[in-house]
Amino acid sequence: MLQEESSSVTSSPLQVFSMMSLSPGLGSPYQWLRELKSEERGLYLIHLLLTCANHVAAGSLENANIALEQISQLACPDGDTMQRISAYFTEALADRILKAWPGLHKALNSTRMSLVSEEILVRKLFFEMFPFLKVAFVLTNQAIIEAMEGEKMVHIIDLNAAEPAQWVALIQALSARPEGPPHLRITGIHQQKEVLDQMARRLTEEAEKLDLPFQFNPVVSKVENLDIEKLRVKTGEALAICSVLQLHLLLASDDELQRTRSPLASRSLNGVHLQRALQMNQSTLGELLERDMANGYSPSPDSTSSSPLSLTASVSIDSFLNSLWGLSPKLMVITEQDSNHNGSNLMERLLESLYSYAALFDCLESAVSRTSLERMKVEKMLFGEEIKNIIACEGVERRERHEKLEKWIQRLDLAGFGNVPLSYYGMLQARRFLQGYSCDGYKMKEENGCMVICWQDRPLFSVSAWRCRK
Amino acid sequence: MAEMENSSPMAISTASGEASASSSGNQIQGAPPKKKRNLPGMPDPDAEVIALSPKTLLATNRFVCEICNKGFQRDQNLQLHRRGHNLPWKLRQRTSKEIRKRVYVCPEPTCVHHNPTRALGDLTGIKKHFCRKHGEKKWKCERCSKKYAVQSDWKAHMKTCGTREYKCDCGTIFSRRDSFVTHRAFCDALAEESSRAQALPIKSNTAANQGNADTNVKNAITTTASSPPPPLTPSSSVLSSGLSIQSSDNPVVVSSAAGATTSPTSSSSVFASIFAGNPQPSSKMPPPSQSSILQSASGLERTSLSLSSPLYLSSNGSSLFPAPDNDHYQYAHPQPAMSATALLQKAAQMGAAASNPSLLRGLGLTVSSASATCLDTTVKMENDSMVDCLGLGLPSIGSSGTFTDFMMGSSSLFVNKPTTLDLLGLGVGAGDASTTGLSALLNSFGGGGLATTPYGMAEESPADGETWDAEVRKHNGPAVL
Repeated sequence: MLQEESSSVTSSPLQVFSMMSLSPGLGSPYQWLRELKSEERGLYLIHLLLTCANHVAAGSLENANIALEQISQLACPDGDTMQRISAYFTEALADRILKAWPGLHKALNSTRMSLVSEEILVRKLFFEMFPFLKVAFVLTNQAIIEAMEGEKMVHIIDLNAAEPAQWVALIQALSARPEGPPHLRITGIHQQKEVLDQMARRLTEEAEKLDLPFQFNPVVSKVENLDIEKLRVKTGEALAICSVLQLHLLLASDDELQRTRSPLASRSLNGVHLQRALQMNQSTLGELLERDMANGYSPSPDSTSSSPLSLTASVSIDSFLNSLWGLSPKLMVITEQDSNHNGSNLMERLLESLYSYAALFDCLESAVSRTSLERMKVEKMLFGEEIKNIIACEGVERRERHEKLEKWIQRLDLAGFGNVPLSYYGMLQARRFLQGYSCDGYKMKEENGCMVICWQDRPLFSVSAWRCRK
Repeated sequence: MAEMENSSPMAISTASGEASASSSGNQIQGAPPKKKRNLPGMPDPDAEVIALSPKTLLATNRFVCEICNKGFQRDQNLQLHRRGHNLPWKLRQRTSKEIRKRVYVCPEPTCVHHNPTRALGDLTGIKKHFCRKHGEKKWKCERCSKKYAVQSDWKAHMKTCGTREYKCDCGTIFSRRDSFVTHRAFCDALAEESSRAQALPIKSNTAANQGNADTNVKNAITTTASSPPPPLTPSSSVLSSGLSIQSSDNPVVVSSAAGATTSPTSSSSVFASIFAGNPQPSSKMPPPSQSSILQSASGLERTSLSLSSPLYLSSNGSSLFPAPDNDHYQYAHPQPAMSATALLQKAAQMGAAASNPSLLRGLGLTVSSASATCLDTTVKMENDSMVDCLGLGLPSIGSSGTFTDFMMGSSSLFVNKPTTLDLLGLGVGAGDASTTGLSALLNSFGGGGLATTPYGMAEESPADGETWDAEVRKHNGPAVL
């Protein structure tokens, strides 16, 4: 019963590749692995990663274990790009596997400490080592300045007030404007009070220096649990909202809401179900999986609901956008990742994120030395955590739900926002900045009035501006 | 040449003045010139219409001194020059006493000026017209990559390029104030935000400032770009060490560039300068700088980098991948080390190349059981041959033909394939690489991933693991080549 329909099966060339190369056994044969040259090793790693992921997705944990073993011989967080990426992806895969044993998983993670100072440092490093945030800030500030021409009272809401540099620049620009500076109020939202305090100090100092009437209102909250009332938007002031890499976090709540409505919500997809399903005919399995995925199926029921932080009801993206719309902002500038990491299928997410994070790791490789501790911190604490979230988590726990720009455009359109094309001048500034940037591989392109910044050809982040459409 | 029906013929001569001297090259294109009268509207109806050949129009120094090979545009000049060599010389007189106004037609039949009623009045004018419209644009502006066929056009442009620009909000640039103002009046982008009308004078001021910033930055960059050694000259040293050296060099470079940008105090540069404080190698920047030029020039730089870096192209005889493929990746991914992006694309390509279903089926690639024991036994045997295959067989991966060899050589190794191969639904991949191929993967996977594998392992229907193994082992025997 040799199934001959080769033409009926579509598979990625990458997957085809993954079966091409070799799979040595255990033990001593690994010697030769260490003598592999970097390129061969990289390809081998890709193969192994995909193999392992397939095993994990299929629930065949034995095989996954073997693959992980093999990868661990080659991957390491201080090697070349592919080695580093493999290290973090396999960690994520292992984490995912471990979730099948919730007790084990919790025990292993119980003593995990995350220092606020380290988190702040890593965010700062991300700001400094990459041009993405800077370009986003340049464009955001320019859009704000243009929108606030002639306005006397300006209120800015920053959904993730972590980097003072952005607003320092805006304060400087506004104080230099010909009709005189406006009265500026910035409401910063962040989870950590220390960050907001630091920001308040820095900005107030800058505003005093430049004699700009300024007020900073901190709001300690997660974006998902934001209480719009706390923002204290007043009538008569021109409102601008700035969201940098925040909106996608809200999509997780959507998933939760969808899941609870799904009739299949009770079953677990991880392992058992799929293995049973493997026995079914190919087509029905496909249908089953697609249906499951479409219903926002969560494979690990234990990991979803018990997030300790979701005390107040997590709000869905649509209601969030609606409440923002209700504030009638004059301008809303949104910076988001421009990759599809929100597929319901693990392999889909893995492949997409493999490409995206390969690009990000390449950025680092081309700009920072391999021995740099900062680089490793960014890779581990920022990218590694994102990867882990994308790969290992499901349901409401999976917060890093990056989506492509087109989807955001649709969502915002539906929520009553109209696109404001980024001005030529803003784009020019951003382009000039990027060209002055030391590293060569970054590109900017315009897409429907929005700006997408890419590494080589891989789109990574997008910036778009919106106004309230009545 | 178009005939005028209602006109009496006009005097047209071909062999006059500079058009006639070297008669051999002087072929008139199309019909021989005729005497025509022009339609009203033409400045001088009695003018002599002269049709010159393209060669004549494009010619530069056609008259050459036989002694010293110096070229002249006019015969008169050559004759005067010959006096200096004590050669016989003769200056020709005017052919007729009266002064005849001459007009010239363009030899290109499709051109509007080919028609004598639309002839141009000036010889230089027709020459330039021909070059501009029907000639090759050999002169290029560095800043904005505008091309010109006539050198004087190019020179004139260079004087004004980038010096003064007006930018409308919709993105259009104007070099002239009047066209800018006209455009603005009708521009859609402005119609929406009438409140921004006040912003425009500010913008054009900042545009002017930005122009200054440009020149400042340009100067800073040109001075600094030369000083550090080109960072991408391929010492065969490891990239990381190279980069770390550069990063120590270049804080100076960058700060001066950053300093230059802050000199005009408009808001424009404030953002950039605030964010631009990175001590990273900036000498990669090409010297003259307008936005698009930087991008294109940096593209050039990149290619030169990749060409010159030794890399994995030819450094080892036993490199996995054939040179052409490597070259391709070199151009696509400038970094000397094989970047992860490049690796992924290469992997996808290799997968796409391995797309000969009958071949692979014939090879009987099988899937071993999940058990480690199976892996152990078969692998140990094949260890040596595996290494060989890596070295020898793999260089041929790139074409499916040689892929055969590879597969042949190491087919036994595939016995070790973990069971998931079945789950992959490994069809022979469609030719698309990277993400589209990946999405095909996803579909196949989402479709259960248990689809057939044309590699011949497909015997395993996705039964549970046990049945798989049995069938696989059964298939194993004849499959090993």
